[in-house]
Amino acid sequence: MKKLLICIAGIFVIISLSGCGYNTMQMNEEAVKAAWGDVEAAYQRRNDLIPNLVEVVKAYAKHEKETLQAVTEARGKVGSIQAGANVVNDPKAFSQFQDAQASMSSALSRLLVVVERYPDLKANQNFRDLQVQLEGTENRINVARTRYNKAVQEFNTSIRIFPNSITNSLLLHLKPKEAFKAEAGAEKAPQVKF
Amino acid sequence: MSSEFGVRRKERTPAKKRERIRRGIVLSVLFSIFLLTAQSFHWNLFFDSEPRTPNSELVFFTMAYAVEVPPLKGYVNDYANLMSPAIRTKLTHELKEFERTDSTQIVILTIPSLEGLTIEDYSIQVAEAWKIGQKGRDNGIIFMVANQERKIRIEVGRGLEGRLTDLTAGRIIDLVVKPRFKRGDFNGGFVAGVAALIDATKGEFKTDDANQPKTKKSFPPFFTILLFGGIGLLILGSISRALGGVVGGIGFPVAGYFALGASMLTLILLGILGLLMGIFLPILFSGIGYGRGGIFSPGGGYFGSGGGDSSDFDSGGGFDGGGGDFGGGGASGDW
Repeated sequence: MKKLLICIAGIFVIISLSGCGYNTMQMNEEAVKAAWGDVEAAYQRRNDLIPNLVEVVKAYAKHEKETLQAVTEARGKVGSIQAGANVVNDPKAFSQFQDAQASMSSALSRLLVVVERYPDLKANQNFRDLQVQLEGTENRINVARTRYNKAVQEFNTSIRIFPNSITNSLLLHLKPKEAFKAEAGAEKAPQVKF
Repeated sequence: MSSEFGVRRKERTPAKKRERIRRGIVLSVLFSIFLLTAQSFHWNLFFDSEPRTPNSELVFFTMAYAVEVPPLKGYVNDYANLMSPAIRTKLTHELKEFERTDSTQIVILTIPSLEGLTIEDYSIQVAEAWKIGQKGRDNGIIFMVANQERKIRIEVGRGLEGRLTDLTAGRIIDLVVKPRFKRGDFNGGFVAGVAALIDATKGEFKTDDANQPKTKKSFPPFFTILLFGGIGLLILGSISRALGGVVGGIGFPVAGYFALGASMLTLILLGILGLLMGIFLPILFSGIGYGRGGIFSPGGGYFGSGGGDSSDFDSGGGFDGGGGDFGGGGASGDW
């Protein structure tokens, strides 16, 4: 009888290990990492479009050196930042990433405002194609950011609510992750008008 | 010092010691149950990996701009009444046929107004709610038009982004749909737009092995549970048959729930199966069977009620998306 009781107790403990949220937290962390991968991919996609865009604009708007320079510089800054899954766990790297991308966004939107003054450029099929791609990319970034934030929020909740918080402090030691903050200019994708 | 302790310990009666062990076991069991029930309050939050009602899922984050996504009625959801009934039937037929041959799902949505949102925000929420396209292939397209704001959007599922790039989608809007809409020819715009979308995505996917992954997926874990569970039960059951029965009756549905996300009925059946296996497997294999079975537990009832998946039962014959994923690809335009 005693052996039986011990066995049952052991089984209950094993079952409650999954009940205490250990797996849940791991799952949620992986979800955050996956969502972060999408965010990076979307930003990378934008970065890849920049050189073509700069080339096309240069051909028509030679006088806008400063604006073009700003875009190229912002791109360089974004490229110099070490990205990767570890950014998610490092608040400092995360805010660095966010700042770099935000300055990229604002440089880009300035460029697109400048472009309005050049009807020839706006009529150029190449440029219009780039605009469509840029627009699509900005939208992807938006979607990826929203989903990342949602994954982070789910993760942060899961390490704070009751039975999980004990497991976390005893076993996992996971820290809450940073979410994207909406900021002026970056929150809204630059409006690309035809 | 240590000898003193040793002496003291010896003085304790075995009965008292046993009492303490028993109390410890009872406490740990109670604590386990407590943890389990505490967890079950958040059950849905964690284990429902595919939220069935995307609106409730969105509440947390996009509360500011969450919209009431209109229900998915079929291939053509003309809430703004832009098409004639004949065209609606024609398009429905065409899109149905296309899904039959190519498995790619194209759905049309027209709405009277965006209610202050951008069309991109609106359409991604629709995409998340409807899940057009098949799971894993993500081959869905939503062709959306907002009448009042005069906006057009083609939302492209992840699996089709290679064929129907943002550029292609943008050109379809610009060159095919827009000119007709400008003339007020909505019927023509939709027909030509759908034709262009079909042309662009034809051949990307084929229907033949459309549902293969689904059935393939659900089988191996079941047998794994059966195999490992059987071995475990054999060992436990040969210690005591009652123990085997209890563990089988509870453990099987629990394993079934976590590994398969099985429905209530399946869980109960698993419970009974586990109970029987726990009791009879050891007899089958060893034939020892010392008669002791007194404690029986109602197989699986407790855990089954914890998280039965009711949505398994409500597959009404209507039209629905297959779980396709969207990443914001596509293009927008206006007229």
